[in-house]
Amino acid sequence: MDAAIRFEGVTKTFVVAHDRPRSFQEAFVRVFRRPDAADRDVLTALDAVSFDVEHGTAVGIVGPNGTGKSTALKLVARILEPSAGRVAVSGRVAALLELGAGFHPDLTGRENIYLNGSLLGLGRREMSRRFDRIVAFSELERFIDVPVKHYSSGMYMRLGFATAIHLDAEILLIDEILAVGDQAFQHKCRERITALRRAGVTILLVSHDTEAVRELCDRAIWLEDGVIRADGPTDRVLQRYYRSMVAREEARLDADEAAAASAATATSAAATSTSTSVSSSGAESTSDGAGGTAGDGAENRNADGAPRTRRTERSDRFGSGEVDITAVDILGPDGQPHPIVLTGQPMSIRLRYTAHAPVDHPVFGIAVHRDDGVHVTGPNTRDADLALERIDGDGELTLHIAHLPLLEGNYEVSAACYDASLSHAYDHHDRRFPLRVRAGDVRERFGLLALGATWTWRGEAAPSNPARPGSDEDAGP
Amino acid sequence: MTTHTNVAAHERRLTERLGELWAYRHLVGNLVIRDLKVRYKNSTLGFLWSLASPLLMMLVFYLIFGVMQRASVNRAFHLFVLTGLLPWNWFNMAVAGGINCIVGNASLINKVYFPREILPISVVLGELVNFLFAVPVLIVMLYLWHIPLTIHALWLPVIIAIQAVFTLGVVFLLACANVYYRDTAKIMEVVLLAWFFATPIFYDYDSAFTQVLHVGPWSIEAGRLAYILNPMGTLVANYRTVLYGSPLGPPSAPDALFLLRTAATAFVILVIGYWAFTRRAGRFGEEV
Repeated sequence: MDAAIRFEGVTKTFVVAHDRPRSFQEAFVRVFRRPDAADRDVLTALDAVSFDVEHGTAVGIVGPNGTGKSTALKLVARILEPSAGRVAVSGRVAALLELGAGFHPDLTGRENIYLNGSLLGLGRREMSRRFDRIVAFSELERFIDVPVKHYSSGMYMRLGFATAIHLDAEILLIDEILAVGDQAFQHKCRERITALRRAGVTILLVSHDTEAVRELCDRAIWLEDGVIRADGPTDRVLQRYYRSMVAREEARLDADEAAAASAATATSAAATSTSTSVSSSGAESTSDGAGGTAGDGAENRNADGAPRTRRTERSDRFGSGEVDITAVDILGPDGQPHPIVLTGQPMSIRLRYTAHAPVDHPVFGIAVHRDDGVHVTGPNTRDADLALERIDGDGELTLHIAHLPLLEGNYEVSAACYDASLSHAYDHHDRRFPLRVRAGDVRERFGLLALGATWTWRGEAAPSNPARPGSDEDAGP
Repeated sequence: MTTHTNVAAHERRLTERLGELWAYRHLVGNLVIRDLKVRYKNSTLGFLWSLASPLLMMLVFYLIFGVMQRASVNRAFHLFVLTGLLPWNWFNMAVAGGINCIVGNASLINKVYFPREILPISVVLGELVNFLFAVPVLIVMLYLWHIPLTIHALWLPVIIAIQAVFTLGVVFLLACANVYYRDTAKIMEVVLLAWFFATPIFYDYDSAFTQVLHVGPWSIEAGRLAYILNPMGTLVANYRTVLYGSPLGPPSAPDALFLLRTAATAFVILVIGYWAFTRRAGRFGEEV
């Protein structure tokens, strides 16, 4: 079968318009100026990209921002024209790029439905046949003869979605799964898209939400910097894409950390800082013998003579100060500090401490909260039967986690040192250390934890259906 | 219609473009209706304004020229003016509106594909509809001032068609230019004002320019030269010939040969405008 969408060596370049003449005056001035290399800044959004999308398949395009995903979609929709190459499309295209594009605020919902239909190439009679279904789907019966400028934004988008989805398009272009209206309506939209997919509509979806791609698409294309980095079954492509994303985020966080560290050094030197930030890996390096930390430089100076009371000045760190927890590091499988850890992978959390005087039977513990405040866990050395008789001077404790059960999300780690009764805090850092968990290879995504559990099944197996997957259900629109 | 290939503009065939335009004919109608509806949506008189405005305009001229009656030898001078002014208004409104039809519809251009030619076409046709509302009013007024409708009025559709072709060509050129140089709209405000006075609305070329110009071995009447340089002048003069007549005589047939030449000029302008416009149209999506 012929492809529904075929990209043949498609290149799309944009001239970045920072120095394009927009008026005769500028054009006139430029005549007398030497042409400047900076004037001709060309951005290549797509670079000789070729791929086919077969009829009746759903393909997701993933990739970081600004790497040509939406450009590809707009080329299929013919909003843009390729600089070179061909985009061949066979079938009527409906583009859910922006809902209600082309609605005129002064016209009623009814008038806009017809107008929108003709924008997409449908005549009055063809729209009349669909009209009742569109209105019913949008649930706007009462407002259909009201000018759309009086609609709420949700109503506006509902009407836009309802119109776009009822055009009997053979190819559906979706830029992000749309957040239309309330929860119930969103479900309806998703159901509708799924139903269209089952009915054999070709779908090209562009999304940052890789879960949406996983749900809807059997094939994914990873586009980055104008070229196809991977193309194939959704799971495989997404896994590779995910790894690259984590590496990228780590690189960014490392850079941030380096910047923050140099900023902290600068402010400590200036001795005026009130900075309270803790660098992202949680490392608070001991800066001098007084037990202060780089991040707490200001407090340290303020309270030089009274180290035991200083901690009450901050809400996220308190304690009597016989023991200082000087650093908390999130370590990856390689034992090195990492800004990001992956679900299911080994990891550990390392505490470094300094005891300024001998302390008997201390208990060290950590707590993990999700960033919305849910207390996830709180292991400590006492419950784990790690007896610490008496500590003095520097030391470190490491909590080893064989398979991190936390699902993707941002968490906060607290670290504390208490006395044996857990009633007196020597030092307590309350949720001061970020723990970023990304999905990695684990596909579970509902709730908080991946239990690492397995399933078994007993029952009668039905004979397998020879038809296309999904066509066993009623595929009628 | 459902199968298409997106390639750079210069690789597309003309027949393909025109076929697509035909497929989207409903959109032209809907855009024209949209603009008319929106224009009168919040006014009490609504569509009656299409009839009321030429009437009111005529009333103004009647009062002004009635008072200054001695200044003119023409009979019913207010109708002499109105016959020229209504077609000019169509041209003027279409050009002024058409310049911005791409830039002003950026939200559409960025989100939906349709042949971009449709926007200029619907502006010109929308203003044509307004003009057509006014024509019966004009004819009734002429009748009341003892200038009856004659068989020569049958030329009217021909003249209107030529004006539509010419206007469309001009609008294609300017709408496209305005995407790249936004000053176009500002400059055209002045140009249209000058053009208005260069067009025989309050006077006619034949009585205004009587001298004969000599350029080397050639000589030409200044009035004739004005017609050649300004197609709108020819068109306005022809409306007047078939509806109002000469300042002293009854309506008559237009000079068919001259009208044909104007038609040829208009067609050439349209072809150039269409070519320039469609050549650039594919990139409007990234320019507006």
